[in-house]
Amino acid sequence: MTIDWSWIGDHTDDLTTLTFSHLQAALSAVFFGLLISLPLAVVAHRVRPLRGFLLGLSNVLFTIPSIAIFVLLLPVSGLTRTTTVIGLTIYSLVVLLRNTVEGLDSVPAKTKEAAKAMGTRPLRTLLTVELPLALPVIMAGVRIATVMSISLVSVATYIGDGGLGQLFTDGFQRNFPTPVIAGVVLTLLLALVADALLVAIQYVLTPWTRRRA
Amino acid sequence: MYELFKNLGSWLISGDQWSGSDGIAHRIAEHLEYSLFATLIAAAIALPLGLLIGHTGKGAFLAINLSSFGRALPTVGLVVLVFLISGLSLWSVYVALVVLAVPAIVTNTYAGMSAVDPEVKDAARGQGMRGHQVLFQVEIPLALPLIMTGLRLSLIQVVSTATIAAYVSFGGLGRYVFDGLAQRDLVQVLGGAALVAIVAVVLDLALAGLQRYLFRHRRTAAH
Amino acid sequence: MNRRTLLGGLFAAASVPALAACGSGITSLDGSGSGNGGGSGSSAGGVTIGTANFTENQILGYLYAGVLEAAGVKTKVRPNLGSREIVVPALKGGDIDLLPEYQGSLLLYLDEKATDTEAGAMQNTLTTVLPGGLEVLPYAAAEDRDSFAVTKETADKYGLTSLADLRKANGKLILGAAAEMKKRVVGVVGLKDRYGVEFKEFKSLDSSGPLVKGALKKGDIDVANVFTTDVDVADNGWVVLTDPLNLIPSQHIVPLIASRKADAKVRKALATLGNVLTSEELTKLNRLVDKDKKDPDEVADAWLKGKKLA
Repeated sequence: MTIDWSWIGDHTDDLTTLTFSHLQAALSAVFFGLLISLPLAVVAHRVRPLRGFLLGLSNVLFTIPSIAIFVLLLPVSGLTRTTTVIGLTIYSLVVLLRNTVEGLDSVPAKTKEAAKAMGTRPLRTLLTVELPLALPVIMAGVRIATVMSISLVSVATYIGDGGLGQLFTDGFQRNFPTPVIAGVVLTLLLALVADALLVAIQYVLTPWTRRRA
Repeated sequence: MYELFKNLGSWLISGDQWSGSDGIAHRIAEHLEYSLFATLIAAAIALPLGLLIGHTGKGAFLAINLSSFGRALPTVGLVVLVFLISGLSLWSVYVALVVLAVPAIVTNTYAGMSAVDPEVKDAARGQGMRGHQVLFQVEIPLALPLIMTGLRLSLIQVVSTATIAAYVSFGGLGRYVFDGLAQRDLVQVLGGAALVAIVAVVLDLALAGLQRYLFRHRRTAAH
Repeated sequence: MNRRTLLGGLFAAASVPALAACGSGITSLDGSGSGNGGGSGSSAGGVTIGTANFTENQILGYLYAGVLEAAGVKTKVRPNLGSREIVVPALKGGDIDLLPEYQGSLLLYLDEKATDTEAGAMQNTLTTVLPGGLEVLPYAAAEDRDSFAVTKETADKYGLTSLADLRKANGKLILGAAAEMKKRVVGVVGLKDRYGVEFKEFKSLDSSGPLVKGALKKGDIDVANVFTTDVDVADNGWVVLTDPLNLIPSQHIVPLIASRKADAKVRKALATLGNVLTSEELTKLNRLVDKDKKDPDEVADAWLKGKKLA
């Protein structure tokens, strides 16, 4: 197996376009995943009976193969980027929900009681005390969800999307390894860079964890 | 949507659907074969590696970051790549599934080992235990819960991902998903997906049971 | 940088593409219900060309794009969307506007009981069975039929020259084809009904791609569903079984288009292409892509320039 370097040289534009398309799908999924999982996590954290149901449901969702989710969405959103984003959002949601609930659980009861004693309203406590304190665990979830989404985008190649994943089907059909290798390497790089950026963001967002360390 | 689920019911319980080489029973057997074999190979590679890193403390950085790398690796790309190298053989499926399963096992095994209280290990050495005795009689039993977590995580992922075998001409429950896609037969896709989820959940419960059994054993041994 | 702006920036970065993604999904669903009038559409908004999941169809998609661009129509090609069962509904739903299709297979997809096998008659029937809002434009000179091939050894062993001969080996042979062929008339269904052929097993592989050809080479399957324009058939000395009962209909390449996009400009450009594109030329283009690993878009572009079509 040899890499056809001239193919890579001739396709830098295509590779760039696919990389951005790939990243867009993954980031959209994490964004919507956060948007949905935050309120759900608060509910799961506060309402005990719902907690088992929500976490159990999300665990089962996680075992469903991603390709099946994309196909089952076809009657809803067709062969579009929307299908890709909805499918990926479901997976990122699972990871984010679990971590956000864990993060909220990790906030010491004493801290919450102190806020209550000071007369802080529940919503304010949530926004200014609980969520910031849960942030390290939530961010760990965001990192996992982001890396996982970047890896999963390529599955959408089976429904004509999939960013860098298109290189896989293309290389497969033509018995041509170069695009496949390029796709795998770029996906890994994208995940690595995104993860590093999130570590940096977390560092900036949570100065108190540094002081303690 | 209601229609889809109603049809799923009749698809799942129809007798024809269960027999023959394209029957559900055969597809489940194939799916189990791919998943269990891949997870076993992965465990054979990852457990010693995780234990070694945890015991010696060397290579901790690798162990911590390996699972992140594993998550980042696009399985479709890996399957296609190995397919292009090895041709029409199950290698492409097994390589991809093993690579997928190894990181979580290594990371969790290491995490379990590093969580063992150093004082406990010192005490064991103080009692005259040798290196391998400390490993097998102290560290591994204490690390077992996290080791099992790693195995369960990997197995679920492998069962879900073994669907891809159908893309490179092989069987398993993915056959229903990929054939259903090609034929736009959503009932078949949903049926395949539901069966994969059921297999994953059942296997996970089985491992959880095994874990409880192992613990009960240890508790009685301690008393 | 202060914390708040960084957080805001992160969300803005994530939300902009996300919203854009939703937008395209919604807009692509409207305008699916225009009538079946001749030349009443407009290609002014651009034409999205979808292609199925095999390389020849992608070459055709880029050929369509090339001639349309030359006629001043904006195009976008979406390669590799899936089987006919996936792409035709996408065309109906409005996700795409134009598809390179194959007469016979398209007809049988729309009407399993269709009996026409001759190109002109099929074109007429197609216009009557197509759902509202879709139409076929004049078909091309080029034809790419489905065919069933066996290795020289298998042909000799069972004495196979035609599809009818397969009956001699009923229950012994394994057929490999794309998954959709299991339920198609030009596939398992027709071979059984028309020729009385029964296979030992059906293996879901791909459309004249690496799986089906690799499996035939390796001996995992005995009979392979391949395209007549596939260069590997001749290269490997495979025996294509003849079709005395005309199970496999004429398969001229035909543009399937949403009427709302089919204006005079589009019709003229695609008709001109259809007259120049022959089966031999298409086979050559397939070789450039499958064997020489050239890109479908570049191959299409170079060919069009050579024929002064772009």
